[in-house]
Amino acid sequence: MGLFTFILDNFYRIMEYTWNHFTLVLTVMLLSLLLWFSVGVIISRYNRLAGPVLGLGNLLFCLPSISLFGLFMTIPLLGLGRRSAVLALLLYAMMPLVRNVYQGIKSVDPRVVEAGRGMGLSPWQLLWQIQVPMAWPVIFAGIRITVVLITGMATVATFIGERNLGRLIHHGITRSHSEMILAGALIVSVVALVLDQFMGRLEKKLVSPGLRYQQRE
Amino acid sequence: MFELHEVTKRFPGTDTPAVDRVSLHVETGEICMLLGPSGCGKTTILRMINRLIEPTFGSVFIDGQDIAQVNPDQLRRGIGYVIQQIGLLPHRTVEENIALVPRLLKWPQNRVSGRVQELLETVGLDPQLVGKKFPYQLSGGQMQRVGVARALAVDPPIMLMDEPFGAVDPIIRLRLQDEFLNLQQSFRKTICFVTHDMNEALKMGDKIAILNNGRLIQHGTPREILSHPADPFVSHLIGEDRGVKLLDLVCVEALMTSGDNDGANGTCVQLNDPAKTALDLMLQENTDRVTVCQGQNVAGYVTWGAIKEYVHRVGGDGPG
Amino acid sequence: MALDSQLFFEALLERSPPHILEHFRLVLVPLFFAFLLAFPLGVFLTRPRYQRYAGQALALLNAGQTVPPLAIIAVFLPFLGLGFFPAVFALTIYALLPIARNTIAGISSVPEEVKEAARGMGMTSWEVFTRVELLLSLPVIMAGLKTSAVLTVGTAVLASLVGGRGMGAVIFAGINFFRPELIVAGTLVIGLMAVILERLLSMVEWLALPRHLR
Repeated sequence: MGLFTFILDNFYRIMEYTWNHFTLVLTVMLLSLLLWFSVGVIISRYNRLAGPVLGLGNLLFCLPSISLFGLFMTIPLLGLGRRSAVLALLLYAMMPLVRNVYQGIKSVDPRVVEAGRGMGLSPWQLLWQIQVPMAWPVIFAGIRITVVLITGMATVATFIGERNLGRLIHHGITRSHSEMILAGALIVSVVALVLDQFMGRLEKKLVSPGLRYQQRE
Repeated sequence: MFELHEVTKRFPGTDTPAVDRVSLHVETGEICMLLGPSGCGKTTILRMINRLIEPTFGSVFIDGQDIAQVNPDQLRRGIGYVIQQIGLLPHRTVEENIALVPRLLKWPQNRVSGRVQELLETVGLDPQLVGKKFPYQLSGGQMQRVGVARALAVDPPIMLMDEPFGAVDPIIRLRLQDEFLNLQQSFRKTICFVTHDMNEALKMGDKIAILNNGRLIQHGTPREILSHPADPFVSHLIGEDRGVKLLDLVCVEALMTSGDNDGANGTCVQLNDPAKTALDLMLQENTDRVTVCQGQNVAGYVTWGAIKEYVHRVGGDGPG
Repeated sequence: MALDSQLFFEALLERSPPHILEHFRLVLVPLFFAFLLAFPLGVFLTRPRYQRYAGQALALLNAGQTVPPLAIIAVFLPFLGLGFFPAVFALTIYALLPIARNTIAGISSVPEEVKEAARGMGMTSWEVFTRVELLLSLPVIMAGLKTSAVLTVGTAVLASLVGGRGMGAVIFAGINFFRPELIVAGTLVIGLMAVILERLLSMVEWLALPRHLR
């Protein structure tokens, strides 16, 4: 099919785009995890902050991705390219990550937390030894959703200068080149699916077997 | 030993206090049962002893020290705490669960492992079989035992137990109660035990504190409470059959007539057996006289009449 | 960063209005069709006979969601060409998942005992469905519809790339000409549309619920 010959002919360019796409997603995820995980943990401990923080996340999430990309691009310090893209995607990752961390921690079986308190665990020890480990399935689900989300949104970053798979799609549109569009769309979907599957395997390894059955209930 | 002095708890938004000026003294090595209907404040009192809840008024003293002066986390590490649903950490193995507080106190690893093995055996579980399992793989009775083992981990002198055997079926509950009483013989811990089951209170308690609507109604030994209920509420709690319940508590020795048991042969009851055993024997053998022995020797006999008279006299009708 | 306020207001008050209506059409039409497709599908999958397909169907829809909106919009271009209809087509597909998923989740979460009690009282299957299952799951289903609506408002911005017009025109103009004022104005309008739509749907929900459940 014309599609496969197209991919083979432009193999190196496509690989470059795929690689850029991948590194963008990876960078954003690493930064997001560090940042939003901490924020989620903090607001679960200091409840008064939860409302405003979650509200902010929600608000950011509602904005169309293209807007945030566009806005950051116009800020002199950021400009076109990677920095604006990372910052914008970072803000999008806020809602799913913070919310899942917060809700995961909050919905941990209160009786286990009570037993922990009764045994003399300090509030921080309770958090790290009981609440976070028990919230891990929910937290991980949030990370998984975010990875897929960010992979998809990263395509839009092409409009502010990122040379990734979105560029393939965009060029395909402007030049009415259907193989380009299909190639871009296909590969992006494959990348997203592969990452999702990978996260699924990771989840099985990382979640304590004792928790998996608890979840079923 | 510990002491509650005028302890009161008023929750915000409610008119009546959940706990109303309760004063209680628990001797070292004693099991004190907190007994009462739902909402009487017994669990609240328990949780004020390890400061999971802070009293609105009044103080709690442990071995003479006001616990309000002690860091709450430190306090709790020295008190064993067992709740009805146990609250085992589902994401850790049985061994890791039991080892929680010892690790917190930075015990060296081999001391921890040794202690875990020892504790599992003490509560009647096979360390090899159960140690590496996760809570979801345990039966109700096993979970309860692990809960007790966990509370005993650092050998705390005081234990607080909130209906710890409530979540299992009655047959297992009886076994757990018996085994726990056995352990208490060797450990002699100071224990505060919450229950809503009168029979459990009578069986397990050295002393019983009866509560209603946040107030302490009566505090005494099972015998005292059965023979002299303080008010209609307590009588009602005990039930109509308190005379018979008393037979579990009074020794045959108190009801017997010394001397030879002329004529009557057959099985003996020991001096120190509860009178109930004698009654059971009488019913079984269809006789109204049973020999009482001290070891191998005959000490006397006890009659159906004596038992009947005792139950009537002490059980009586209405508060003594 | 100095924003040209005159340009901003011009973008807001003069450039945007013609596109607002287009954008609404780009949102409401897909939403309508998505609901028409996804809602019955969701209901269907909660019927006892077809429940085993629910897992697979959801997995399929989930997989569909991993395809980025830009790709979905673009992928039909070779087959459908440019214009309003292809854009609507793509947006409809993208709006399906939240509605389907929430319909299934909402209806399955109605406690069995309530349905049994209703049957025991003599309600027919249809009555149990409309008076019990639907009513009790309405909030969750509406939440799915609202999520879909907000999502579509945002995604419809990309529709301007395939000739669908709408507010995307303003925002892309802002990007291509490096004019943040246009982007901000466009985003503001879209944000407002999302909020208004959400409020409208909440009102519909409120009206649909009988008085005692409000």
